[in-house]
Amino acid sequence: MTASAHKTGTKTTTNPFVDSARLAQLGALSRVELEALQLRKLRRQLARLNTTSSYYRERMRQGGIDPEKLGSLDEFRARFPLSSKADFLADQAAHPPFGSRLGIARQDVALVNMTSGTSGQGQEIYGRSQHDVHMQGYLHALPWFLAGLRPGDVAVNCVPAGGVTTGGWGPGEGLRIVGATAFHVGGTLSTDAKIDLMQRVGEVHFIYASTNYLHTLTETMLRRGLEPKRAFPMLRTLFIAAEGYPLEWAERIEALWGCRLQEGYGSTQCAGFGASTCADGVFGKNGGRGLMHIFEWETLFEVVHPETHQPVASGEVGEMVVTNLSIEGSPTIRFRTGDAARFLSWRDAASGRAWNAIECGTIGRFDDMLKIRGNNVWPSAIDAAVFSFGEVSEYAGRVYTNCDGRTEIEVRIALSDAATAFDGATQSRLIERIRATIKERTNVWMTLSVCARNELPEFNYKARRWKDERQQGYRL
Amino acid sequence: MRKPEDAADQTARDHRMLSRMLADADELCRSGDALLVGQYDHLRGRIAALIEVTMPLCEEEAA
Repeated sequence: MTASAHKTGTKTTTNPFVDSARLAQLGALSRVELEALQLRKLRRQLARLNTTSSYYRERMRQGGIDPEKLGSLDEFRARFPLSSKADFLADQAAHPPFGSRLGIARQDVALVNMTSGTSGQGQEIYGRSQHDVHMQGYLHALPWFLAGLRPGDVAVNCVPAGGVTTGGWGPGEGLRIVGATAFHVGGTLSTDAKIDLMQRVGEVHFIYASTNYLHTLTETMLRRGLEPKRAFPMLRTLFIAAEGYPLEWAERIEALWGCRLQEGYGSTQCAGFGASTCADGVFGKNGGRGLMHIFEWETLFEVVHPETHQPVASGEVGEMVVTNLSIEGSPTIRFRTGDAARFLSWRDAASGRAWNAIECGTIGRFDDMLKIRGNNVWPSAIDAAVFSFGEVSEYAGRVYTNCDGRTEIEVRIALSDAATAFDGATQSRLIERIRATIKERTNVWMTLSVCARNELPEFNYKARRWKDERQQGYRL
Repeated sequence: MRKPEDAADQTARDHRMLSRMLADADELCRSGDALLVGQYDHLRGRIAALIEVTMPLCEEEAA
């Protein structure tokens, strides 16, 4: 048992800042010391790229930046040009396969990662060195250690392993680095088979899954008559990523599983996780949404207005722009992620540490935004509305143009087994309440209907619940 | 909770040890054995990353 461990009932709780001297040191940095460390690492990164990457050398030339003479983080933010996905794709097309941003010798690429391509624009390619493979592991291990994972723990990784994504490789490295015994069940076993395996293992301490998949796993257990907290009494942490959720859902999940729900924000561009929750999990001290604290000594985060590119104030929503301080192969330097987050300065985060933060459960995509009848509607907002009702099992949405040329929004809802047994009038009242909640959170009235659960897909990782078919309505 | 200055001492010691190991790993990578060199490079990468992870947090510690 580690230095801070103490037993509460059958479970052991831990304090990461006691168990790791290094984390204690990082947690004790003042804001001035943290920014000095960032500047030191940034100068080193830019000096290296100035000699190894023609892409970034050109960007430094455009900004008039000499890495040796870079005076401040503000100077970097003001002068270093932003890069976008389109910039990376153009560079890859001109210098296949990795682009001139690679920054290491091709023969030193030990792992190739690609983005998922769900944007429809194309896939970014990243070449990682042996050093980076470990760093990617570390950038998974770090949030999981903060969330309570310890050497010798049994971990179940529900995210599909392998392939070309960072999410396919980072978790395996991260769990090895921590010293956990890992079962990588994502993508290879059905949900029922995963539950059967977990029951055979018995002593499970940690589960990692996308938000959506944790919902599916929980729903399947309940359908089988299994109460998660009784089935897995040793479980210490549920760790989710990738999607937003309503707080009501998080409360139910914690009650059903009998343990803390923790969340991380990560991406290929961050080479793993860039931020995660700490002791309070996904809830704030006042019971509202909690915070993910940014690992700013590894990744420089800016949260900017998507059009002006100026930093947003604490409490406002903006686009995250990231700069890798420790990654050497295909690093991102001032890369526009397209991810939307609510920013909280370290002062407002009030965690006792000098780390800036982003809000839990509300990460969205600027390019996922649906413009509906003049309103900006994010799928994550609709998810939050729909899944605030425990009677909902899954849903799917479609925006289309009807024969009169009017935009219509159809939401098909599959109810839980218990709610399926409701009489017609009760179901109708429930659907009307869900409809009103969607309207309240999006300002758009949508048409809701009930369907069977098997008419909707199951998602192993990131859910894609929305289809925009409006273009098809204009086809002749 | 551990004092940050104690943590700094411990991390600085680990960092110095890893830096010595990196020099040895660099030498292994020059061995020329085609079967072993990739494995040595793997080991070197792990050590290099740990040097990053244990990097002194203040300039004075780094000096």
